Amino acid sequence: MTSHPAIHPTILTVENLHKTYRLGRVDVPVLRGIDLTVQRGEFVAILGASGSGKSTLLHLIGGLDKPDREPRSNIRFDGEPLGRGGRLDSYRASAIGFVFQFYHLLPELTVLENVTIAAMARHRWGWWRQRSVVVPQARALLERVGLGHRVKHRPAELSGGERQRVAIARALINRPRMLLADEPTGNLDRQTGDSILDLLIEIQRETSQTMVVVTHSAATAQRADRVVRLEAGRVVEVPDLVAAGLAV
Amino acid sequence: MYQLLLTRRYLTSKIMPLLASLAVVLCTAMVLITWSVMGGFLKKFVASGRTMTGDVVITWPNTGFPHYDDLITRLKADPMIAAATPVIEAFGLIQLPDGRNETVQIRGIHGPSYAEVTAYGDILWWKPLDKPVPADKKAQDPRVDPKLKDLMGRLEEQGRTLTRINPDTGQAEGAVVPGIEVSGFNQREVTGFYTPKVLLERRKDGTTRAVDVFLPRNGEVILNVLPLDTEGQAVQTVTRRLPVANEFHSGVFEFDKNIVLIELGVLQDMLMMDEALRAVDEPAAPTAGDGGESFAGTPPAQAMEIEPARVTHVYVRGVGDLSTFGAADPLRIRCEHIYADFAADHPDVPAEWNIRILTWEDLNRTMINAVRTETTVVLVVFSFISLTAVFLVLAIFWAMISEKTRDIGVLRSIGASKGGIAGLWLGYGLAIGIVGSVLGLAAAYTIVININPIHEWMGQALGLQIWDPRVYYFVKIPNEVEPDRAAIVFFGGLFCSVGGALWPAIRAANMHPVKALRFE
Repeated sequence: MTSHPAIHPTILTVENLHKTYRLGRVDVPVLRGIDLTVQRGEFVAILGASGSGKSTLLHLIGGLDKPDREPRSNIRFDGEPLGRGGRLDSYRASAIGFVFQFYHLLPELTVLENVTIAAMARHRWGWWRQRSVVVPQARALLERVGLGHRVKHRPAELSGGERQRVAIARALINRPRMLLADEPTGNLDRQTGDSILDLLIEIQRETSQTMVVVTHSAATAQRADRVVRLEAGRVVEVPDLVAAGLAV
Repeated sequence: MYQLLLTRRYLTSKIMPLLASLAVVLCTAMVLITWSVMGGFLKKFVASGRTMTGDVVITWPNTGFPHYDDLITRLKADPMIAAATPVIEAFGLIQLPDGRNETVQIRGIHGPSYAEVTAYGDILWWKPLDKPVPADKKAQDPRVDPKLKDLMGRLEEQGRTLTRINPDTGQAEGAVVPGIEVSGFNQREVTGFYTPKVLLERRKDGTTRAVDVFLPRNGEVILNVLPLDTEGQAVQTVTRRLPVANEFHSGVFEFDKNIVLIELGVLQDMLMMDEALRAVDEPAAPTAGDGGESFAGTPPAQAMEIEPARVTHVYVRGVGDLSTFGAADPLRIRCEHIYADFAADHPDVPAEWNIRILTWEDLNRTMINAVRTETTVVLVVFSFISLTAVFLVLAIFWAMISEKTRDIGVLRSIGASKGGIAGLWLGYGLAIGIVGSVLGLAAAYTIVININPIHEWMGQALGLQIWDPRVYYFVKIPNEVEPDRAAIVFFGGLFCSVGGALWPAIRAANMHPVKALRFE
């Protein structure tokens, strides 16, 4: 009999997560012992007011930032603790896809290059071998997000919604196991924001993509499988948005 | 691989990297031009020193030494020695057809053997040319004129033998070959050739007439020399009117302005250094007086004896290329041994510890060291100035990284490592260095190769003459770019550029990803 590595139904486990920022001589605690689990294929919305630490939590989950040394925090992804240094780089490159509020596209690159650059960062020297596979995938992704006809355009030539679509394609090009979106509709008008959210949800449904979306919008949150709320640096589960008075 | 893509995009979409490249262009071009000209000056100086003297010189100035034929035979028999030739060096006055007197160095040579030791055949100016010099696009050089081909051929032959046929007697007479700048009768053209001048002479009746002063055709000069006796004492001035056989152009202004070559036999005759039956003083012999005691007051008796011909120098050319520094030293040592044997067999020549045997490097040591020092100092100064490129690149990169902070955060968010970010900016610095160095080298090459036309143009258009041959020794500015020097300057440019990018690259690599993403 051959054994297969167990596939955890829980893709992310966060235990006792603390994060404190130092502003001058003052320590400002932002996260005060976050406990959170995310199931594979789940769409979780993290809701909270501005400054509640939503983005900080997302950055910590995504390996862009490090939790406080004391008290000891624990972030596990697919059952493995997040590493440090090179392992974190590799984690960000292959396991995680980020979508930011302000798109963060590289202005000198075309739409297609903005998507493939994530694959370049992942494959490094192996890019030359992967290129023939990845570039058609990037084109297909851009078709999927409705920008197949704009692959040679620069970000400056796109609308806000189109830029966010490119950012989504970039986040998905490496087939990440978890998509982290930080206020993906926060910089868009309502109609465009809804279309972006529709797109994200469609993709999540089609591919059973695990997705954690940070938002302060109850409208966005109510379309998630599960909503958690950050209050005073801690997670409060919101089983029912209507009951919590957050439904739009 | 994103580094290559971004480097390419940043290079072509930003003005700041172009400024950084421009700094590298200017610095590499400045250093290479300086090094090429100064280094070329030294190289040309070395080559020119050998052009007219060969590799080693055996010399006993003023009075000279006899039996030189035997010495030359012994030298030529040695496997280290390719050729040797007798020479007399003396100073004199030359009177030109317009009445001017110029002090010159007179060098008596034997044309054929002198050409074997030196580049004499090459430096003879008036000779037929198949094609004009490169800059002479209109082929105005008289040497390429088909109508003058016969004349030029005759002049070349005259130059090689330092003789000219006397139209009255039909006999070949010993003649002189002055440097092309001695007479002042040749106009140096911008394109690099000489045109004989035509002088206008005013007659007594007020009219003028054109006078052909092309000396090698039918001109004569008057040479005045001062012979010395075997004790080195001046005897009497000897004056002789001599035809001009040709003119030489060594490219060294000092030589071309001050040296007059003359057929060896003629100069030996003028300086009384030829083989001749001469009266020599004999020591006073004891004479019996009336009282039978000796009498020492009798004037010395004079006897007649054949005195062998003398020369002041023997020039020697070694086998192979001895143009590098120190290469001629073994040949000098060999010549010392040969001369010692020669002196042992001839008691009337200077002893081996008296004779001076010098390499071309010894002869020019003072000037070579001065030029070497000057070249080094100028290079060091310019290299220090070029270091400003490092700080310029640093400042530009620092500003660019500040501008690109958010992009760095984005790259970190998609998995770029710290090393990858540092590599991006170092690679970018390298690319700027490559672009700047390549363009700098191209600019330097273009300028150095065309430095003489540029200089001529500056002289004509702006009235500037930076390179005065009377000061800088050579008629032309050295215009060769050495590949090894270009390579060193190229890598220096890369070093400056990458060095300037290093600190900003480290700063970029150490940026906190979240702070970078939130940067405004």
